[in-house]
Amino acid sequence: MGSRMERTIGKQVKLPFRRAVQISLRGIRIRFGRSLVTVSGVVLGIAFLMSNLTGQLIKKAIAHERAQRDTVNMMLSLVRAEVGSVSGKKIAVAAFGALTEADRLLLEQVVAAEPESVRGFGVGAPGVTPAAADKVGEGAALLLVLGEAGRSEIPLSTLATGMRQRVALDSQEGRVYAGTKDSSLRREPFFGKESDEQIQRMRQQARAERFRTFWIVGISLLVTVLGVANALLMSVTERFREIGTMKCLGALSAFIRTLFLIESSLIGLIGSLVGVVVGALLPLIAYGFAYRFDLVFGSMPYGLLFASAGGAVVVGTLLAVLAAIYPANFASRMVPASALRSTV
Amino acid sequence: MIKGHNKTADMSKRLQDMLAGARDSAKGSYVIRAVGVRKVYKMGDSETHALRGVTLDVHRGEYMSIMGPSGSGKSTFFNMIGGLDKPTAGKVYIDQVDIAQLDAYELAWLRCRKVGYIFQMFNLIQVMSCIENVMLPMSFAGKDSEEARERALEILDLVGLRSRALHKPAEMSGGQQQRVAIARALANSPDILLADEPTGNLDLKTGEEIIDLFSHLRDTLGITIITATHDLKMLKASDRIVWIEDGRLARVSTPEEANIHLEEVH
Repeated sequence: MGSRMERTIGKQVKLPFRRAVQISLRGIRIRFGRSLVTVSGVVLGIAFLMSNLTGQLIKKAIAHERAQRDTVNMMLSLVRAEVGSVSGKKIAVAAFGALTEADRLLLEQVVAAEPESVRGFGVGAPGVTPAAADKVGEGAALLLVLGEAGRSEIPLSTLATGMRQRVALDSQEGRVYAGTKDSSLRREPFFGKESDEQIQRMRQQARAERFRTFWIVGISLLVTVLGVANALLMSVTERFREIGTMKCLGALSAFIRTLFLIESSLIGLIGSLVGVVVGALLPLIAYGFAYRFDLVFGSMPYGLLFASAGGAVVVGTLLAVLAAIYPANFASRMVPASALRSTV
Repeated sequence: MIKGHNKTADMSKRLQDMLAGARDSAKGSYVIRAVGVRKVYKMGDSETHALRGVTLDVHRGEYMSIMGPSGSGKSTFFNMIGGLDKPTAGKVYIDQVDIAQLDAYELAWLRCRKVGYIFQMFNLIQVMSCIENVMLPMSFAGKDSEEARERALEILDLVGLRSRALHKPAEMSGGQQQRVAIARALANSPDILLADEPTGNLDLKTGEEIIDLFSHLRDTLGITIITATHDLKMLKASDRIVWIEDGRLARVSTPEEANIHLEEVH
């Protein structure tokens, strides 16, 4: 570029981003009907993604909840088998490390069954009186050994000191009978362990299921992207004259591109937000009717749910921007003279 | 605060001074020079020669009309001198600057500040109000919005539409829309107004109003006006009429001479 002409001709400045956002927002608002159709495409895609994510979370949560309830019920039936009704009896509890969810539920149920007293070693729970390791078992009908840490710290014989009948139930290691002599302690696992082969097969099934879900969700998202791209291309062709006019008025190609990218990302954002809400609520309600609402809503890991929602919104917005790249470039390449065409 | 009935007159006087001041700084009696301009469009194997060497100087402050049948290369020439297209061969100088030498940023700058475009279909941005339409080229020029708003009101005043500043284009008549478009073209005090069939979509009376406005702008602001038109009234109001035929400059005449030709046609 010759230095001579720099006196008379300057370089066009880039417009602030805020201005581009204003213009695109207005464009969306005015072309509300069309925008709504485009947005609903995104809503469908993201709702599908989100409902799959939510469905998986719910299934997992329900399965977990069920497994826990099964464990508690099994433990309770074992308790009944050993000592009959808990009511009016002294119960000893020893915990190693933190209580598991199942442990806590079991303890709640035991306390609720109105025993004479519940003494606890290493347990802080409502209705449980703290006691020393060798005092906890005194006069107790049953010793419950709970917690997720190792059991080696204190021998069972110490915990069982002073028990009339030395009976212990361990939530992790299985049933433990205690006779009068310490040496007669023996352990029987009461949870059947799956064989390696079974575990392998279950893993394979889970992987196939995951792949299928990815495939379907991926296809639906692809359809969404194509839908948005198509709608934006239409919108570009519709605005040939407007874009040409803007260029005649001094708009840079980059500004036109930004305009469409912003419009698309706003469409993606709005569509994803709505899609996420719809996609999360539908499975929650459906599973709620199929199982029970308190089970579904109570067992839902909300942190994970919100994390997936955030992820889905990001995915939706990014995909909308991706869809806009071609239409936006197409629009930005338009020559200013296209504004002069008298017919649209 | 209260200026009374003089306020409007004050305003347009101030605006005129402003526009004229900007124009005085750029010297040179020719605002556009086209030298041996050729344009060839390639469509696959075939070549279309839209322009076959046109040489023409446009005087500063002149009101010039370009005539020509469709397919004559009139539109191509029109685009070329408006900085909307680059010649295949030959030179186009706008304010002594060879437009072929400009990059995208400089071309955008030129379109933004040197040339004001007026279209047959008005081409107002439908989603924006009048004043926003007028403010758009100013925001492209990087003017802050308060200053732009004030100036937009002044220019709308000049075209007599200050009271309708907040209306949307769809709520206005064709003549009003075209006047808003003229206000928009004037936003950055251009040297040149380029109008493509500006009265083509207007009825006779409104068309006359637009022509009067053009003459007024030329007389008061010294702005150069170039129109492509078939409107007889428009031709009569212009200083020179340029006839493009078959990609060549057929003749240049004054309206008085042209009238004879037109009568011959009819």
